[in-house]
Amino acid sequence: MKIHDLPRPDFSKKSFLIIEDYEGMRGILRDILGRAGTTRIDFAGSGGNALAMLEKHRYDAVLCDLHLGQGKNGQQVLEEARLRRLTAPHTVWLMVSAEKTSEMVMGSAETRPDDYLVKPITETLLFTRLQRQMDKKKVLAPIEQAMRDHEYLKAIRLVDQTLAKTTPHTWDLKRLKAELAQLSGDLNQARVVFEEALNQRDLPWARLGMARLLFQEGRLDEALQHLLQVTEGSRSYLDAHDWLARTLESLGDLDGAQEALERALSVSPHVAARQSSLGQVAARRGDLETATLAYRRGIELARNSPLVSVEPYLSLARIFLARGETGEAAKIIGHLAGDMKRDSGARFLARVMEIPIRLNSGGEKAARKLLEELAPSLRDAAHQLPPEVAFDLAGPLMRLGDSETTDALFASLLANHHDNADYANRVLTLYSEAGRGDDGAKLVADTTRSALEIMDKGVRLSREGKLDEALSLLRDARHKMPGNPRLLLNHAYLLISHMEQRGRDLHLVKEALDCIQTARRLRPHEKRAGTLLAKLERVGGVET
Amino acid sequence: MSDSPFLNAEAGMSMANFLVSSVHDMKNSLAVMANFLESALAQAPDQSAPLYRQTSQALYETQRINDHLIQLLALYKIEQDFYPFDPQEQNLADLATDALSRVANLADSNGIALEYECPDDLHGWVDYELILGVLVQALHNALHYTRDSVHCLIAADPRGGITIRVEDNGPGFPDFLLQQGTSRDRGVSFETGSTGLGLYFAGVVAGLHRNGERGGGTHLENGGRLGGGCFCLELP
Repeated sequence: MKIHDLPRPDFSKKSFLIIEDYEGMRGILRDILGRAGTTRIDFAGSGGNALAMLEKHRYDAVLCDLHLGQGKNGQQVLEEARLRRLTAPHTVWLMVSAEKTSEMVMGSAETRPDDYLVKPITETLLFTRLQRQMDKKKVLAPIEQAMRDHEYLKAIRLVDQTLAKTTPHTWDLKRLKAELAQLSGDLNQARVVFEEALNQRDLPWARLGMARLLFQEGRLDEALQHLLQVTEGSRSYLDAHDWLARTLESLGDLDGAQEALERALSVSPHVAARQSSLGQVAARRGDLETATLAYRRGIELARNSPLVSVEPYLSLARIFLARGETGEAAKIIGHLAGDMKRDSGARFLARVMEIPIRLNSGGEKAARKLLEELAPSLRDAAHQLPPEVAFDLAGPLMRLGDSETTDALFASLLANHHDNADYANRVLTLYSEAGRGDDGAKLVADTTRSALEIMDKGVRLSREGKLDEALSLLRDARHKMPGNPRLLLNHAYLLISHMEQRGRDLHLVKEALDCIQTARRLRPHEKRAGTLLAKLERVGGVET
Repeated sequence: MSDSPFLNAEAGMSMANFLVSSVHDMKNSLAVMANFLESALAQAPDQSAPLYRQTSQALYETQRINDHLIQLLALYKIEQDFYPFDPQEQNLADLATDALSRVANLADSNGIALEYECPDDLHGWVDYELILGVLVQALHNALHYTRDSVHCLIAADPRGGITIRVEDNGPGFPDFLLQQGTSRDRGVSFETGSTGLGLYFAGVVAGLHRNGERGGGTHLENGGRLGGGCFCLELP
């Protein structure tokens, strides 16, 4: 066969977005696509520009350079576009790069491009890859739509139907199926795929998948063995290093966890979340130099991106406060207020953190004045406060003698985490150090008891068939402890039982979905969330 | 400049970074040059003029440097433990057409018949970029030494895995190269100007591809269907 005999594809009806900061390359890509009849090509020279164009139009294909000079890189654009649903289910996203990088080959379905092209790009390479991916997306679009609707069981069904026919995309589909099975809480189905893949070849994604699954089941030592196998030969599987660090941290090996994160950062230092993880592990080890540097880098990387979060700012300020460097803490909190000025929750936290800062810099009067101003909102919003902020505030509040607000903060914290022994112990210690040991013990006992009682009562009522009563009980309880994953999942369970008996109700479906998604955000590795999602799907269509 | 050890460590880091980023930069320049040369060849009125031959030769040399830079970069990353090796079940006819298209202009300008044979639905577990690098290098080599014909043959191996052969109808490999076999430790040959980089790279890449206990390998032979040199890559 001669390659001159091969026909060119017809892309005359397809629309393209080319995201590329280098004009020469834009021209090359336009010329190549032109030879396949394409006329509808838009160009973006930067990540920000690209997102603006993606907002306006759903393209059939996006060719995106990984390196875009200043600003967002291609990977960040892809992740934001997927997060904000700026692509159609059939959109093909090809990442173009001067070299193969680990971000392109690992990651989840949400963070992986459909395919990647390593430069130099030739006509044949671009055409064959585009055509293959367009064909694949035609098959995958209904599956992708089901995923967007959180209908994972339906998506799995569609994958199985496609796999039953001959398809050139077997392993892409199987890998997707494993991810879907995990999202719907069916770990065994995922395990079958990973085992089959590992019988084929020692595939890093399959080994990592297996490790994550074992981690989720609490089989940390087995997870560790798989992770060591993936990471031993190569530093480049970054996700695997993040999971290795997480696993080692859970096993209590903080030194090992820090080493794993540092190894991953030596290859790819520009990931905000990884820098923050390093900050956290290093701070736990007492390595404050490393922690400070890592948090600073994490903050810098996430600034002006949707990944910006209060956590690294608060953690860094905490370190400075503990070291008595109040001025530095104040600076960081100032950055928090500025960088996240459009987020009212973040602005509130920044003001709240002024209390310990003022107090530590000797401004007791100013601290007291601020506390008086903020106390009512603090008590109202207690359940939204990150747990560590409650602990940050505990000392200052007690010193300023505001036991009402202190009690409100910890009652809320304990209600949302009634099954967390670590928090309970820390609260007990705090109170007894402040000479209020009895109050602390009572607070812990009361909140735990009342959370358990509500859940027991809910179960009892639903067993007795009093579903409406049970529902209103849990709805009330949810107001008091909106961040309690167990309660949220019980609530979802009840809503689903309700619908199983009385038929599907759009409002209840939405309410249940909201509970499950909040619980999943709070506790990403909770298997029950997936199981309930699957149950919800069986009871009726899920609409979002 | 400060003599702080911390700064020196940073400088050492940046030397490697400079090397890597310069190689990328050189690759970009070479791609532009190759593009110019290809369009010059396409527009040339007289293919028998000496200028045409020289341009074609310049294109070959440009692509040879490009091959070497790609191989050096990949080897550096593999040896520094950060090459993201990613075997996927790839369609091998796509791989063949991609590889051949990268050398097609060179073949045309030298009047060499370039063909491939690969079942449409044959798939293999390969790291696409690495195997493409090996294949393009082998094709460039064959195009340089052949008389007028180069074939790329990809087939399923009855023992499992695949074999890729690049055959030509030139004079074949010299004895000393055939005798060196698959050893990766052969030295630089100053007589031939060959650094051995291409074969070393092919050997490393083949070795990374594993199926259980079996690893891939390469060897050279003379003969084949066209009677010249044959480069063989076996992947389990």
